[in-house]
Amino acid sequence: MATQAAMSGTQPIVAARAPSYRPPRRIKWGTVLRHVVLAVFAMVILLPIIWVLLLSVKSLPDAYQNDIWPKTFDFSHYGYSLQRIPTLPQNYANSIIVTLGTVVITTVCAVLAGYAMVFLNVPGITIVFAVLVASMFFPTRVTAVIAIFEIQKDLGLLNVPAGLIFPYVTLSLALSVFVMRGMFQTVPREIYDAATIDGSGRMRTLLSIMVPMVKNGIVVVIIVNFVTAWGEYLLAKTLNTNQSAQTLPVMLSMATGGMGAWVWPRLAAVYVMAITPGLIAFGLAQRWYIKGLQEGALKA
Amino acid sequence: MAQLTLAETQQSAAARSTFERLGAWLSRFALPWLYLLPTVIFFIGWAIYPIARVAWISLLDYRPIDASRPVTFIGLENYVQAFSDPLLWLGIKRAAVFTAVFLPGMIFIPMFLAVLIDRVTQPKLATFYRLILLIPAMIPGPLIFLLWKWMYDGYIGPINFFLVDVFHLFTIQTQPQWMSNQLVIPSLAIMEWWWGLGYHTMFYVAGLATIPRDLFDASRVDGANEWKMFWTVTFWRLLPVTLVLVVLRFGTAMAVIDEYLLMGGFLRDRPTYTWTVYMWDTAFQGVQSRGYAAAIGWVGTIVMLIVVAILFWAFRNRD
Repeated sequence: MATQAAMSGTQPIVAARAPSYRPPRRIKWGTVLRHVVLAVFAMVILLPIIWVLLLSVKSLPDAYQNDIWPKTFDFSHYGYSLQRIPTLPQNYANSIIVTLGTVVITTVCAVLAGYAMVFLNVPGITIVFAVLVASMFFPTRVTAVIAIFEIQKDLGLLNVPAGLIFPYVTLSLALSVFVMRGMFQTVPREIYDAATIDGSGRMRTLLSIMVPMVKNGIVVVIIVNFVTAWGEYLLAKTLNTNQSAQTLPVMLSMATGGMGAWVWPRLAAVYVMAITPGLIAFGLAQRWYIKGLQEGALKA
Repeated sequence: MAQLTLAETQQSAAARSTFERLGAWLSRFALPWLYLLPTVIFFIGWAIYPIARVAWISLLDYRPIDASRPVTFIGLENYVQAFSDPLLWLGIKRAAVFTAVFLPGMIFIPMFLAVLIDRVTQPKLATFYRLILLIPAMIPGPLIFLLWKWMYDGYIGPINFFLVDVFHLFTIQTQPQWMSNQLVIPSLAIMEWWWGLGYHTMFYVAGLATIPRDLFDASRVDGANEWKMFWTVTFWRLLPVTLVLVVLRFGTAMAVIDEYLLMGGFLRDRPTYTWTVYMWDTAFQGVQSRGYAAAIGWVGTIVMLIVVAILFWAFRNRD
């Protein structure tokens, strides 16, 4: 951050004179302490995950010995769980359908709405805006869970995995719209006006000119909704009571470790399979995600 | 340029027929609404309508378990009953206790960490720390809870393994029971901090980036040390971010339910049996009225929203 600020030319004088102020080289205990503290926090974050990874490759006797590092490695738990827990592939598929549907619908909604809020003249926009802001402070998911159950029952969507998409879209919709609105606000008005004068319609301006300019925000919206949909618990537990209709994390969280197919290392193997998609997606998109968070999140 | 086009538009508008004017009105005001339509449909269908419907249900005597019993409108009777229900008020108090334990840590630890990360001058190292801290934010909620259920486990849990077998601070008999009534609230708070650490740190890192560097340089010239600089400059400059996070996290902490359902269970003497769990338990597991459950939910929500309103009032912009 410090280097970025200096390089962007906000304080050229300080940046240019900094070298002459540099004290003689010695160990800066403040710097050392800072990295020690940061490393400790990084370890605290990583250790539980490493522990699960190790558990998932422990041989069965090792798992009950409690030692952190396994004496014998056993990689068979992954294949075994996929075969022996009959609903597992189904649960995985449910999660993918629900998450994909939620992410696509919410992102399209948020991009369209954010664009309209910044560049189009929409009558009554203040009311929509006020309601969306208010909803951020209202615990809709908890307060309305009883009514959402009744609505999904009326629509025949109980125990239909894809039915979860409807309530899931609204969970992060307001936040997504604000992130996109914040991103569109960083686009100069002149670009929209120039495109309009050149005869570009609203939709074409959005798709061909705006979308590439706000892609960091889109990545943030995709990730936020991915995390929401992939990991929602309350609605999934309430609306789907059949194990085969359940999303993967919810099914997994209901399993208690111990015997048979659910012996600890096998449970851990399923666990690793369940968290991997999120971590891979994050790894691929992290560059835009962090940038987008910084550009859009503060405004939201 | 702009005036010229405006004049042109007015001239041509006068020449248009009524039909054309209607078309112009449509494309100018009505068509933009199409862009908002998907958002509005979902929002009304699965947020506003459910909220209204749960308010309606709270006025009914509705017991789905007993299909032969007619659903009747009973006015505010559920609310009268709820107001004199000690378990509901205890549940609200329990949610407040968790919030009081959870909130300070979720604000100050990320703030502290962001200041440290902000000072890391090697860009690669700074990115590395941020990535590590953000990993838990990418793990789905139920799996966070499952992971920490394992962490706290007295049999295979690594925390007690270190405390008992490695450091010999406790024995198998005296080891801490993390999920017991005494410890479950701080245990859950630690889990929540672990989960939210990176995400909240990012907010503060973004906030720190907006502070002009010469403020630090000036106070360094004045002889301020890091500690003093934090309290005289950084803390106040970050206050807007802090206030937003306090209001948002207060709201989520008071309405926590997933963690309690998964890790707390349905015993009524558990500190995790808050108003949210009481509502869910009554609505979906008992023979009691679902209308009463809706009333419990509304009372809890309204108490929470009153505090949120007070926070807004207290944090209002005084400039």
